[in-house]
Amino acid sequence: MPKTIAITGNGAMAEAMRQINPDVVAAFPITPSTQVIEDFAKFVSDGKVDTELITVESEHSAMSACIGASVAGGRVMTATSSNGMALMWEMLYIAASMRQPVLMTLVNRAMSAPINIHCDHGDSMGARDAGWIQLYAENHQEAYDNMIMAPVIAENMDVRLPVMVCMDGFLISHSVETMQIEEDGKVRDFIGEHTALNSILDFDNPVSWGALDLQDYYIEHRRGQQEAMNNAAAVVADVSKRFGDQFGRKYELFESYRLDDADRVVVAINSVAGEIKEVIDELREQGEKVGLLKIRMFRPFPYTGIAKALSGCKIVTVMDRSTSMGAFGPLFGEISNALYAADNRPLIYNRTYGLGGREMLLDDIKDVFAESKEYLDNGKVEKIFDILNVRGA
Amino acid sequence: MSKYFEIRWHGRGGQGTVTGAKSLAEAVQGTGKHVSAFPDYGPERRGAPLRAFNRFSDGNIRIHTPVLEPNVIMIVDPTLIGTKPLLSGVNDNTIFVVNTEKKPAEIKKALGLDGQTLYTVPANSISYRLFKREIPNSAMMGAFAKACPEIISLEMLTKEARHIFSHLLAEHLVEKNIEAIKCGYDEVQTV
Amino acid sequence: MSDKSDKYRLKNWQELPPGGVITEGGNAADYETGTWRTWRPVWKEENCIHCLTCWVFCPEEAFLLKDGKTASGKDRKEIKEIDYFYCKGCGLCVKECPVNKKGKKVAVEFIREET
Repeated sequence: MPKTIAITGNGAMAEAMRQINPDVVAAFPITPSTQVIEDFAKFVSDGKVDTELITVESEHSAMSACIGASVAGGRVMTATSSNGMALMWEMLYIAASMRQPVLMTLVNRAMSAPINIHCDHGDSMGARDAGWIQLYAENHQEAYDNMIMAPVIAENMDVRLPVMVCMDGFLISHSVETMQIEEDGKVRDFIGEHTALNSILDFDNPVSWGALDLQDYYIEHRRGQQEAMNNAAAVVADVSKRFGDQFGRKYELFESYRLDDADRVVVAINSVAGEIKEVIDELREQGEKVGLLKIRMFRPFPYTGIAKALSGCKIVTVMDRSTSMGAFGPLFGEISNALYAADNRPLIYNRTYGLGGREMLLDDIKDVFAESKEYLDNGKVEKIFDILNVRGA
Repeated sequence: MSKYFEIRWHGRGGQGTVTGAKSLAEAVQGTGKHVSAFPDYGPERRGAPLRAFNRFSDGNIRIHTPVLEPNVIMIVDPTLIGTKPLLSGVNDNTIFVVNTEKKPAEIKKALGLDGQTLYTVPANSISYRLFKREIPNSAMMGAFAKACPEIISLEMLTKEARHIFSHLLAEHLVEKNIEAIKCGYDEVQTV
Repeated sequence: MSDKSDKYRLKNWQELPPGGVITEGGNAADYETGTWRTWRPVWKEENCIHCLTCWVFCPEEAFLLKDGKTASGKDRKEIKEIDYFYCKGCGLCVKECPVNKKGKKVAVEFIREET
C-alpha cells in the first residue's frame, strides 16, 4: 500500500532517492536544496541505501564526480539550486553531451546578485540549452513522481540523457504537504536495474571517453544528441503512461486544465499553477471561459501538442518566473514558437512574476485574468511584456 | 472565505512556532485530512516576529499562498499582542488561541476583539513546569484540540503526536510532550 | 592503404555511439599519418643490419617486422617494410640508423616526396 504522509518537498525528494538507491550521490549543499542531501545522508548512515555519498568541495566537483561515476557505469544523482547549479555550468553541458543519465533535483531559486534564496526559475531556465531533460512540478507529489520516472527516462537506450527534476524553492521544498509515497518494492520494480553503456570499468571492452572532436565529427555528435532529445519526448510520454497504469496518477507532457472550451488561457510552470487552478474554478463559476496550460516538460519542448492545445483559444497570457535580460521570457519565447504555425493563432503576451520569491496571491492572478479579458474585449494586446507586482509601475 | 480550514501562527524566531505548525499538520494528517504547513520564509532570527501557516481540507490543497483570512490565529508569544499584522484578515468568526497567563477577557480587550471566540492557555508555565524551559508548542497544540475538536480530538492528537515525536525525541521527552499536550488541553480558559 | 579506406570514411551521425565515446581501443592504428609526409624514408634491404633501431625510434610504428634468422641460424625479428600509411616523414629512422651514422652505406635513405 502507498503511504499517505505529510512531508516537505525536499523530504519527498530524499524519499525518492532512497527508493532509487543510486550507486553514487555527489553533492554540495546550497539553500533551498540542502535538506534533500541532508535527509539522504541519514539514509546512507542508517544503511537504508547502498549509495556511495561523495561530499565534494564545490558544485563543479559534484557534477564532475557524477559524470565520472556515471561513465564508470553507476546510477548517479545530485541536488542543487541557483548559484550552485551555475557553478556546475561547464559540467552540465558535458554530462549531457557525453550522454550520461545523471539525475538531479533542482530546487528552483533566484540567481544572484543581489543574493536571494527564494524561488524563481532563473537557474533552470538559464540551463535550458545545456542538453538536460527538464521536468517541472506543481507540488510535492508531482516532484516525487517525476523523480521516480526520471531514471527510467534518462536510462532509456534511445535517450541516455541527464534529467533535471525541478520544483519551487521554499514554496514546495520547505512546506509540508500531504502526498503519497509508493511502496519501495513497486517503485524499484518500476525503475528496474541500471544498465551501464560503454562503462570505463568494463575491462573486456575498453573505451575512451572525453576525446577531442573537431570539425569533422562534432556536428554529427550534436545531431545525435538532438535526436536523443527528440526521442525523449515519446519516452517521457510512454514512461508517464506506464507510471499512470502502475500508480494511478496520470501525467502528460503538459497539463490542460479546463482548456477545452477556454477563450482565455494562462500558461505557467510549477507551483503557481495551483493558485491559477483555484482562481480558474472561481471564475468558471462566474461563467468566465478561462483555462490553464501547465508545462511539465520544458526540454524537450512539446511544440506540436501545445500548438494544438492552444489553437482554439482567443488569448494567451504566458507567465514567466524568470527573466532573459533584453528578451521576452523563456517560456513566452517557446509558446510563441509553438503558436506561429498554429491555426487560429490567439493573441499572446508575456507577464513576468515572482522574481526572487515575490508573492503571487490569488488576487494577483485574478488581476491577470481581468487584464486578459480587457485585452480580449479590445481585440488587441496593449503591452506585450510587463513585470507584475513591481513597485513604481 | 477560503474553502480550506486555515490557521495563522504568530511567534518569534527560536520558539519553535514553525515546528509547531508542522507537527500540527502531521497530526491532523493522521485523521485522513489533507494538510499543509509552511512559514513566511525569511532569515530565521531569534526573537524576530514570524508567521507560520496551516491549511486543512478534505480534498487536495492546491494553493501555497500565505493565509490572509485565518479561521484560527495561534498567538505563541503574547508580547506580540498590539502589533499590527496580528489582526490582519480577522472576521467575526476568527478563533484565537493565545499563550498567556492572563484572563481571556483581559486579552480580548487588549486585542480589541468583539464577538470572536478566544481561548487562553498558560503554555509557557506548563512548559516550564515539565521541561524547565519555555517551549510552548505542545501545550499550544493541546489548546488547539480544545478550541477546534472538529479538526482533531485530544485522543487523536496525543496518538499522532506520540508517533511524530518518537521519530524526533528520546522516549522520556515524548511522554513529557504528551503530558504537555494534555495540560494545554485541560488548562484552556475562555470567556 | 585501400583496405582501410572504409574505416576512414567519415561516418554519419546515426553510426556514432552516444556521447562521443571511442569504443575501439587502439584506434590510433586507423589514423593515416602518412598524409603528413613531405620527405620519404626508403629502406634499403641490402644495407640493413636488422638492428631494429629504426623500429624502436619510429613514433608511428611504421616499420613492419617479419621473422628471420641470424647468420648463425638463431631466430630473430627483421625489418619487413615501411608502412607509408603511417610514416609521416619525420626522419628519425634516417637520423638514428647506425648504418647511416657510420657513413659508408645508407640503410634508410631520405628523399623528397615530390620526386
